[in-house]
Amino acid sequence: MPVRTIEVKKNILERNDRLAEEVRGRFQDAGVTAFNLISSPGSGKTTLLERTLQELDGEIPIAVITGDPRTLNDAERLARWTNRVVPAVVAGEGGCHLDAAQITAALDAIDLDEVRLVFIENVGNLVCPAEFDLGEEAKIVVFSVTEGEDKPLKYPLAFREARYAILNKIDLLPYLDFDLPLAIANLGSVNPELTVFLTAARTGDGLEPWFRFLRERTGALVA
Amino acid sequence: MHEMSVALEVCRLAEEQVGVEGLPRVVGMGLEVGHRSGVMADNLAFCLDTLLTHPPFRAARSVIRRTDGSALRLEWLELDDPETEYANTP
Repeated sequence: MPVRTIEVKKNILERNDRLAEEVRGRFQDAGVTAFNLISSPGSGKTTLLERTLQELDGEIPIAVITGDPRTLNDAERLARWTNRVVPAVVAGEGGCHLDAAQITAALDAIDLDEVRLVFIENVGNLVCPAEFDLGEEAKIVVFSVTEGEDKPLKYPLAFREARYAILNKIDLLPYLDFDLPLAIANLGSVNPELTVFLTAARTGDGLEPWFRFLRERTGALVA
Repeated sequence: MHEMSVALEVCRLAEEQVGVEGLPRVVGMGLEVGHRSGVMADNLAFCLDTLLTHPPFRAARSVIRRTDGSALRLEWLELDDPETEYANTP
């Protein structure tokens, strides 16, 4: 049978990007700040969010969208601190990232008029989530001192796409050979524009600058 | 798997185009995958090999053009065109 060749020239992620723009518009219209937290598994995202909800939820109404290939473990932990947790469970064990369609669906369960800050806790993975715009104001990449100083060099896209980086578990520094100045230098070499927070979500050390940042970003504190 | 998500989106775009063109089957497609796109071209080709065996694809071939930069695009489609066949029939 004869074949007709047609030119398409479409961005493969066009649909995701269009939905992400719609999500971004919904956040902006409601005056909501939204951050997309990406990291490898076990960096401490959920603990950081638990601490953040403990400290700020009475002051800044916060909603969290969580993504995991299986289980509601993170959502259940966070639900201890707020009733505005929406699990966007990634279907199947092969799910590796959240996309804008899932955020669109999750927003149906959030009254944006009642919140000022939304965290999207992405699937623990430093590769795929970096690719997908979810309509957030900024990506925040989280990594921890147990992961090695070279994480930014190994996963440059995640660190390039992010506007903020959180180096977590600094309370463990005395017990590790982690080279903190080298890690900071690696961050700067991949993305010189990154704002970096050094935190220990488990103990609470270093969280004040993070809380202050969130207060400033949401207008709860005039910078 | 990231590349499978991308491959599924490629198929969705192709099926959409099949509807627009009113032609029955896709027999080939060309993609551009940038080195900085975050997508492994070989993995994407593997995923497409699996997906392109089902209608409206007819064991469609995929041709991936690797480029610098971060582009990730469906560039062209080859579609079975029965009208052209009938038009050419004496």
